[in-house]
Amino acid sequence: MAGQEDEYDPILDNKREAEAKSQVSVAADKNMAPSTSGTPIHRSGSRPQLDLSKAEIQGNLEERDPTILLPNQSDDISHLALDIGGSLIKLLYFSRHEDYSNDDDKRKRTIKERLGITNGNLRSYPVLGGRLHFVKFETHKINECLDFIHSKQLHRRDPYPWSSKTLPLGTGVIKVTGGGAFKFADLFKERLGVSIEKEDEMHCLVSGANFLLKAIRHEAFTHMEGEKEFVQIDPNDLYPYLLVNVGSGVSIIKVDGEGKFERVSGTNVGGGTYWGLGRLLTKCKSFDELLELSQKGDNSAIDMLVGDIYGGMDYSKIGLSASTIASSFGKAISENKELDDYRPEDISLSLLRMISYNIGQISYLNALRFGLKRIFFGGFFIRGHAYTMDTISFAVHFWSKGEMQAMFLRHEGFLGALGAFMSYEKHGLDDLMSHQLVERFPMGAPYTGGNIHGPPLGDLDEKISWMEKFVRRGTEITAPVPMTPSKTTGLGGFEVPSSRGSALRSDASALNVGVLHLVPTLEVFPLLADPKTYEPNTIDLSDQGEREYWLKVLSEHLPDLVDTAVASEGGTEDAKRRGDAFARAFSAHLARLMEEPAAYGKLGLANLLELREECLREFQFVDAYRSIKQRENEASLAVLPDLLEELDSMSEEARLLTLIEGVLAANIFDWGSRACVDLYHKGTIIEIYRMSRNKMQRPWRVDDFDAFKERMLGSGGKQPHRHKRALLFVDNSGADVILGMLPLAREFLRRGTEVVLVANSLPALNDVTAMELPDIVAGAAKHCDILRRAAEMGGLLVDAMVNPGDGSKKDSTSAPLMVVENGCGSPCIDLRQVSSELAAAAKDADLVVLEGMGRALHTNFNAQFQCEALKLAMVKNQRLAEKLIKGNIYDCVCRYEPPSL
Amino acid sequence: MDPTQISHLALDIGGTLIKLVYFSANGDYSEESRNGCSVVKGRLCFAKFETRKIDDCLEFIRFNILHHSGVQQPNGEGHDKLYVKATGGGAFKFADLFKEKLGILFDKEDEMCSLVGGVNFLLKTVPREAFTYLDGQKKFVEIDHNDLYPYLLVNIGSGVSMIKVDGDGKYERISGTSLGGGTFLGLGKLLTKCKSFDELLELSHHGNNRVIDMLVGDIYGGTDYSKIGLSSTAIASSFGKAISDGKELEDYQPEDVARSLLRMISNNIGQIAYLNALRFGLKRIFFGGFFIRGLEYTMDTISVAVHFWSRGEAKAMFLRHEGFLGALGAFTSYNDQSHNDLKPHHHTVQRAILNCSGHNFRHIPVTSNLNESETIECSINLV
Repeated sequence: MAGQEDEYDPILDNKREAEAKSQVSVAADKNMAPSTSGTPIHRSGSRPQLDLSKAEIQGNLEERDPTILLPNQSDDISHLALDIGGSLIKLLYFSRHEDYSNDDDKRKRTIKERLGITNGNLRSYPVLGGRLHFVKFETHKINECLDFIHSKQLHRRDPYPWSSKTLPLGTGVIKVTGGGAFKFADLFKERLGVSIEKEDEMHCLVSGANFLLKAIRHEAFTHMEGEKEFVQIDPNDLYPYLLVNVGSGVSIIKVDGEGKFERVSGTNVGGGTYWGLGRLLTKCKSFDELLELSQKGDNSAIDMLVGDIYGGMDYSKIGLSASTIASSFGKAISENKELDDYRPEDISLSLLRMISYNIGQISYLNALRFGLKRIFFGGFFIRGHAYTMDTISFAVHFWSKGEMQAMFLRHEGFLGALGAFMSYEKHGLDDLMSHQLVERFPMGAPYTGGNIHGPPLGDLDEKISWMEKFVRRGTEITAPVPMTPSKTTGLGGFEVPSSRGSALRSDASALNVGVLHLVPTLEVFPLLADPKTYEPNTIDLSDQGEREYWLKVLSEHLPDLVDTAVASEGGTEDAKRRGDAFARAFSAHLARLMEEPAAYGKLGLANLLELREECLREFQFVDAYRSIKQRENEASLAVLPDLLEELDSMSEEARLLTLIEGVLAANIFDWGSRACVDLYHKGTIIEIYRMSRNKMQRPWRVDDFDAFKERMLGSGGKQPHRHKRALLFVDNSGADVILGMLPLAREFLRRGTEVVLVANSLPALNDVTAMELPDIVAGAAKHCDILRRAAEMGGLLVDAMVNPGDGSKKDSTSAPLMVVENGCGSPCIDLRQVSSELAAAAKDADLVVLEGMGRALHTNFNAQFQCEALKLAMVKNQRLAEKLIKGNIYDCVCRYEPPSL
Repeated sequence: MDPTQISHLALDIGGTLIKLVYFSANGDYSEESRNGCSVVKGRLCFAKFETRKIDDCLEFIRFNILHHSGVQQPNGEGHDKLYVKATGGGAFKFADLFKEKLGILFDKEDEMCSLVGGVNFLLKTVPREAFTYLDGQKKFVEIDHNDLYPYLLVNIGSGVSMIKVDGDGKYERISGTSLGGGTFLGLGKLLTKCKSFDELLELSHHGNNRVIDMLVGDIYGGTDYSKIGLSSTAIASSFGKAISDGKELEDYQPEDVARSLLRMISNNIGQIAYLNALRFGLKRIFFGGFFIRGLEYTMDTISVAVHFWSRGEAKAMFLRHEGFLGALGAFTSYNDQSHNDLKPHHHTVQRAILNCSGHNFRHIPVTSNLNESETIECSINLV
């Protein structure tokens, strides 16, 4: 062990060597206090500064010019930052993407050339994707934090390969903020061999808040009467705002812009007061225990209310109701009671309310003073605690007479750590916008619920073992019981918080913090009519009935999904173990969302479905339906020639109707829909397809076909302008894409319209992916000259077979058929975050076709575009059919919308 | 009518304390007559009781005021009820009790109106009433009666009311807080086992808040957080040290706990008061109410808070009779009825003329008991 330690401590080696060389060695005082001249806290400048601590003089003092060793010289490495507070350590670290796209792909190069994608990166160094991880530790268990850093080698990793410098081991510097930065500097040096660079606490808070408010769409939320509501803030209208950080004490900071802020006020009545007084009065052992007590308290037992003074009456002349608190703890005056005679629960609640309300009032007065519209509250005191947020919100609402709102931040515990991270010179975060960030919620001991449950996890095997012990299946979902929201009501006063019994955790309403994936290539879909008001989800899951229904559907579908996933990996013992872990993890997610719908931000059906896919990938089920898709593709390709021959025998008008019917009919093949899975066992694909198509009777439930036909074919003999480019968002593999969407694409191509097939970047159920589509197109092109020529033009077929009958002149006039990935791995699509390829392809597009329940109904049913839009789907869920289109299962939607300008 | 039977009484029954103001005529009966009115010389007397010991108050009134004035007892032959001005929430709560025990009927005055009336009365008629207190220095403030308005009145009772006063009878309660005197005594009792307000105040006089409050220097390793103007001795978190000391309540000195509590509440009130004065552009803030009680440390803390938050631009001012504002206001409201009341047996005040001698201007010592009172020599015109 001693030998191993030597490997990581070059300073010791140098020192030993120096001692051997010289008789006298002068070591710097290890206990030297920080410099007291000037301000002890400073931001690092644009150039790395010399770190002179622990410098030694090498060689004999008698020599005239001894060499000075600077062992702590370092370059900026932006991969780890900490906020060491009095009770919690918040750690932020960056890791690179494990997969890096291959730019040498011929197909991708062709597409990029055609779509005109150029590298618009103006930075001096490349911007790579990566992940921001958020971890918490308890400060008094700081050795666990150090173990975590060491186990992941976070203090050594250099995520930026362009850096030509080779850094010697153990000479890193970590950016740290918070009061504990001074206290633990020596420990970090001793255990990890790194130095701590202290960043100003207030500056870090503001930087972190600015980043979150700009970059994360569902970050800020209000909390009134137990209800959370996310507030979307326009990044261009962010400033000025008031940031109130409630830690041990309170700092009230006016933020006017990037790096422009001023601490305008504060108060010493903060979290430390609550906990300090609370400890003395209740003998609680921890802050959370104290909060938990308050859940069952009744403050009217100890606070003097207006009614107590006025004999049960209001003091209505000045708007104080009988239940308003006139004097906190005022009842303790007049009763001959000792401390032991009061319930700790009542004391804790009175204390919490007194302090929360006071903070809200002082914050409001300061916001009023500076004419600020928004107040954001953060800091460890708040901790996502429902009653605390309610009380602060009520105070602001009361004093402002409803004109001002208190807002809270989902990542509030990590403001300081984020700010410290951003104080590195090359953090790469300053230009990121919300459409370039995706938040995922993997299982993991430090992250679950934001709480710290167990040791930091290394690899997948460790994760599965931990889950087998600690994460039980969410049995609540099996028989969901509606939970009464914890509400507070009443003019000027709060009712007693409803008790949920001993099972309630004080962090039940705390919001989870996930892993932030930085994907610089994601963009907002440019054809959205109004990106600011765009809401992808059609179903409102804030409605409790809707939420329970869909959570139940997902829960019931879970066993089949696990079986399919395990089978796709060969059904091995390892696959079964991973499948079980997946089931535990996803059930835990569902239970969490039943308990707190806002746990992962604003909840929509698209988010739920994507969460499931991400959970599968987490346990290395990369494509659960791979074999099913392959089988269905082969079967569909086998019958495609007959279908094409049939279509070609029709008139143009009849063909258009048959094509749309075909898309709708083929959409019946959907492994995401329970009702349709049974159909697979009842016949061959072509039989089901024909039967489905034959059942089509117009008018469909939503039937804009006539308008679409007029747009395509014209009326009164007048020929319409053909579309320049159509984006076809495809759905399922098999018959859906091959017998439905490809023939439709072929029709556009025949008319000279460019076609871009848009498919998933990652697998989701049996949805077709952008990786699979070229082979499918190639298979179809064997039977169709139109598709073959278009595919060649679009770069999908790179080895053209020259047919004797085709002339080169004819080839050059063919419209191209291209494939781009959409940037997501979900059955639905949120057009606020699409791939840059898709965004580029959209520039010349004048028609968007959204196909399938996920893309056209669950999401985007109400979306409006700057271009024409055609939404096609068969509804395969009875409830959705009733709610959305007032119809029945298997009803069809053909919704055509002209451009929304 | 025997002039020695004349007496006037007003009460302010708050959540914690009952304040009395009553006029006591001395033996001299002067036939001085101006404009047909009799003039009686005597004193305005002040007394206070804990609300929870309201029976003591009843006995005091019965013995010292009613008996002395010769008013008939409720079960006696006299059928007339005595109307007394009363204010505060207790004027509603205890109305039946006073009627039953003493035959007194409360003529209720609005609490806020009484407060403002009392302050206006004092500021206009009592020289050397308002003063500042900072760094141990008390300075009386000369106030131009023509430049009195507007000002902010901060009344610190069980709770705190902050009232913007724009003129005679023109005022608005613009803010308040539940962290007031009731919080100090309530929490103080739980934390120190003190029995009374004065006992708690006495205790805090000797305490050291640095034992239990978390200072800026505790967080920043003994240094200032000079970037934002916080010295190392500034309190970052009241009672913050209790978090990590590992001590139980019994391990702390009650004096230190009481001191921290007093400072926390005083500083908080000063800050909220300043923010509200700033909001309305008010130059003067007057602090009153029984929480202050002339206690130097309390006034100093409030003054420091206002000075700190305003960066020296605003000043906290205090009133010598800060505890009796409501009662005084109720007392002076007798005057408002003179032109409406023609019955000769009602005693009303037309106008108060104060001739105050200097030797009575002293603060109530901290050690005084609740019933010791200070007086103002004055004369009152009677209808």
